[in-house]
Amino acid sequence: MALTQLKYEFSPATPRALPVPAVHFGVVGSGDMEVIIENKDLGGKAVATVVTPVTGFDHVWEMVLRRFMDECQLGNVAISINDNNATPVVVSLRLRQALLEIEG
Amino acid sequence: MSKWQTLQTRSFLESTARQRAQGLVDEGSFTELVGPTERFISPHLPELGEAVEFDDGVVTGIGLLGKHPAIVISQEGRFIGGAVGEVGGAKMVGALKLAQSIYEKLQAENPAEVQARRPIVLISFETGGVRLHEANAGLLAHAEVMDQIQNLRHKVPVVSVVGSKIGCFGGMGFVAAATDVIVMSEFSRIGLTGPEVIEQEMGRAEFDASDRALVFRTTGGKHKYIMGDCNYLVPDSIAAFRQQAIAIAALPMDAIENLRRIGSRSAIERQMQLVAMAAEVSPTDAKDMWKAIGNENPQQLIDANYTDFMAQAKRLTPAA
Amino acid sequence: MSEQKVWNKTQRDTQERMSHASQYFKPGTKVFEAKDAVAILEAVIRSGDRVNIEGNNQKQADFLSDCLCKLDPARVNKLHMVQSSVPLASHLQAFELGIAEKLDFAYAGPQGGAVAKAIASGKLKLGAIHTYLELFARYFMDLTPRVSLICAYEADKDGNLYTGFNTEDTPLITEATKFKGGIVIAQVNKIVDKVQRVDIPGEWVDGVVQSPKPFFIEPLFTRDPALITDTHILMAMMALKGIYAEYGIKRLNHGIGFNTSAIELILPTYGEELGLKGKICTNFALNPHPTLIPAIESGWVESIHCFGGELGMAEYAAARPDIFFIGPDGSMRSNRAYSQTAGHYAIDMFIGGTLQIDKYGNSSTATAGRVAGFGGAPNMGCDAHGRRHSTPAWMKCGNEFTDQQNFLGDVPRGKRLVVQMQETFQEKLVPSFVEKLDAWKLAEQAELDLPPVMVYSDDITHILTEEGIAYLHRCKGLDQRMAAIRAVAGYTSIGLQAKPEETRALREAGIFKTPEDLGVDRSRANRSLLAAKSIKELVDWSGGLYNPPARFRNW
Repeated sequence: MALTQLKYEFSPATPRALPVPAVHFGVVGSGDMEVIIENKDLGGKAVATVVTPVTGFDHVWEMVLRRFMDECQLGNVAISINDNNATPVVVSLRLRQALLEIEG
Repeated sequence: MSKWQTLQTRSFLESTARQRAQGLVDEGSFTELVGPTERFISPHLPELGEAVEFDDGVVTGIGLLGKHPAIVISQEGRFIGGAVGEVGGAKMVGALKLAQSIYEKLQAENPAEVQARRPIVLISFETGGVRLHEANAGLLAHAEVMDQIQNLRHKVPVVSVVGSKIGCFGGMGFVAAATDVIVMSEFSRIGLTGPEVIEQEMGRAEFDASDRALVFRTTGGKHKYIMGDCNYLVPDSIAAFRQQAIAIAALPMDAIENLRRIGSRSAIERQMQLVAMAAEVSPTDAKDMWKAIGNENPQQLIDANYTDFMAQAKRLTPAA
Repeated sequence: MSEQKVWNKTQRDTQERMSHASQYFKPGTKVFEAKDAVAILEAVIRSGDRVNIEGNNQKQADFLSDCLCKLDPARVNKLHMVQSSVPLASHLQAFELGIAEKLDFAYAGPQGGAVAKAIASGKLKLGAIHTYLELFARYFMDLTPRVSLICAYEADKDGNLYTGFNTEDTPLITEATKFKGGIVIAQVNKIVDKVQRVDIPGEWVDGVVQSPKPFFIEPLFTRDPALITDTHILMAMMALKGIYAEYGIKRLNHGIGFNTSAIELILPTYGEELGLKGKICTNFALNPHPTLIPAIESGWVESIHCFGGELGMAEYAAARPDIFFIGPDGSMRSNRAYSQTAGHYAIDMFIGGTLQIDKYGNSSTATAGRVAGFGGAPNMGCDAHGRRHSTPAWMKCGNEFTDQQNFLGDVPRGKRLVVQMQETFQEKLVPSFVEKLDAWKLAEQAELDLPPVMVYSDDITHILTEEGIAYLHRCKGLDQRMAAIRAVAGYTSIGLQAKPEETRALREAGIFKTPEDLGVDRSRANRSLLAAKSIKELVDWSGGLYNPPARFRNW
């Protein structure tokens, strides 16, 4: 009955810095999630932590996050996610929206 | 259009707690306090395997309404129905204490400016009350919030802003009642016991919780406005709630006191008159009360748009 | 010679049965009272009869269904129920009580689990699960009802019925029953001096009763725009650009659900912007979906023929006679048989959701332990092989359907677009794409001859998920189709088997398209694109004519 914590590490080919110290987006509603992306000196790498009540989707999380990281090429960032049964499409959407939050 | 300007046009109902908080105060003036990056999550939910949120479902912060510092508390209904737990409750209490200390500082250092620059508290409710997963801490938070509201009495206006999907129920229904002013939209609700619980306890014949029209004409903004339980009814936009907050901030403190529905001898007398009236009408539906108050065609008022409703609705005891 | 041969045994039997019922009728009328309803049914129903209780996915002859359950199973039993659907508890109770024995139907809805249980316990013998049209056809062939229990809004003393907005299955059931000598009993909401319009002539009806409560009706096609998500909107944008606009879909049916509601609600916004008004979505075989109101009001729609009514939409439909099919009395008439026929022969596209799609593209809403049935979707979710007229959309799809020529040589033929619109995961992360359909398990449990497949793979032309659109009919052979399905299946176990180089090749061939390939801007996929964001806004669009059921009101 505890929450699952998943950790992933990514090494972007051409690491790009987050233009703000941190950005937060999303609400942990049912089938939804929130994310904080923040600058952190990780020697160019990116780390992601997911806290979720769901088990058995470790591989899917990794793939969804990898696809996002491949697209955005962020380096030196820590990504923290609180999840409540978000589907992969919602996860991808919220991650993209978090970045749009900075631009908007 | 800036992000803040876009927020102003948004439906309050559709917005998140954070969007509401940012949009209620002047452009660019909002500073979130104990925000998500501080990561004050509930210590209880992980034990139960329940999802957590970095802000524990409550956005707290400070901004400006003109010269008035505006302390904002905004509950997020999509996270566990906005239920109040230990951390979220403590954030509410902390925000109210901040309002008090700002007031006291102003009073001590610049008493002549109190009317023009005194703080205002805006609480945007979206909750069913206590978070059952951490009931004791949640209940305690309710009591502390009530205490703080009493401490601010006659000093800082505390305004309930109720325009959310879930509305304000359970213990927080009491808290809203204890504030100085209540502002609602017709799409939100205030009550104590939730509709489902009433149905469960009293039977479907007494109250059919699946009949949303019934639920709304018993607890919704239009009913609360007619009955005098809420002071102002505004259209469903962040801008409309903000405009109302600006108007309230400008009122002198004795006018604010007059807006209270409970907590004074005259308010108690009004309440007793209402009880006597209800006994006489013995309503079987909210519509019976609307009619008794002088609204000939309650159903038409229910279906009326905001402007028509405001023009036509007769209220029980129009507050000052 | 032997004695005279008898050619009207059924008619004589009907006369004999009705003679036992006549004592309950008010003199000179066909009207009897609710308290005598059980006695009437006792008089006219005999063991072993084929009995129809009118009920589809909307209006229900619920009072008569309750009365049927009050018959003495020792006297009346082994009934063979032939009816569109069995969504009421009383429908199954008749089997539990031993009054009914066999069931031929089309749709079980909320009682899908109870049907499966009743089969397993041996109390219900299943004939077959049909589509609506298929079952209707059998009413005129080998499943003609002996007694039908129907429902209507109004009746007069002579039995003339007004079924109006919710005419639905009534004319068809009545005709099949009465013209083969059977007995028709109707429950009505009100006995009146003169019915508003004669939908069923009194001669075809044997008895009418005012039920204690109006008949039950389910607002099955009402979707609250407040519950439409950004993902629904993203998929709706893809549908408009990648399918509706691409093929110029004018005549269509929308399956039930939030995905199609989202499409309806972005027609006046995104659709307008794409310049599609008048080019798509002009003619519908469709129930009166409240979410279509903004598109109708914005001038997109030319005609809508309805299978049934939808609670709260009667006044709106009546006020738009240029769009809906309205009687001389000014109220709409729905008709399931006609609308299903239109949906089978005269639409160019069916788009709808499902629960499971297998790796070959077969889809099903059956899950283990639930016999949900088919309803009308399979008749719309297929190419009508008897179709001989052409339209540009049908021809374009046919031209792209290269595998079709394997059987036709050089003769051209069109193809109906059958689109499955489905997120790769549903709530609680249940995958929509599976190795093997649960329908197989169900077939085994419920002893069905074949797994209940809603839409077969060879009928599907497009699968649309949040990942993109797979244009399956453009594939050559099953292997390529399966690769295209893997490409749209996202992070499900099927999707994870996709090979990147294979997916890339499919994109190059125009068989798989992502939102980017379609030019759909993901950042715009949010609720601000919806022409109405709440039920209240639908009411506003309708000028106050739409009167939503209480459960959908938040004011």
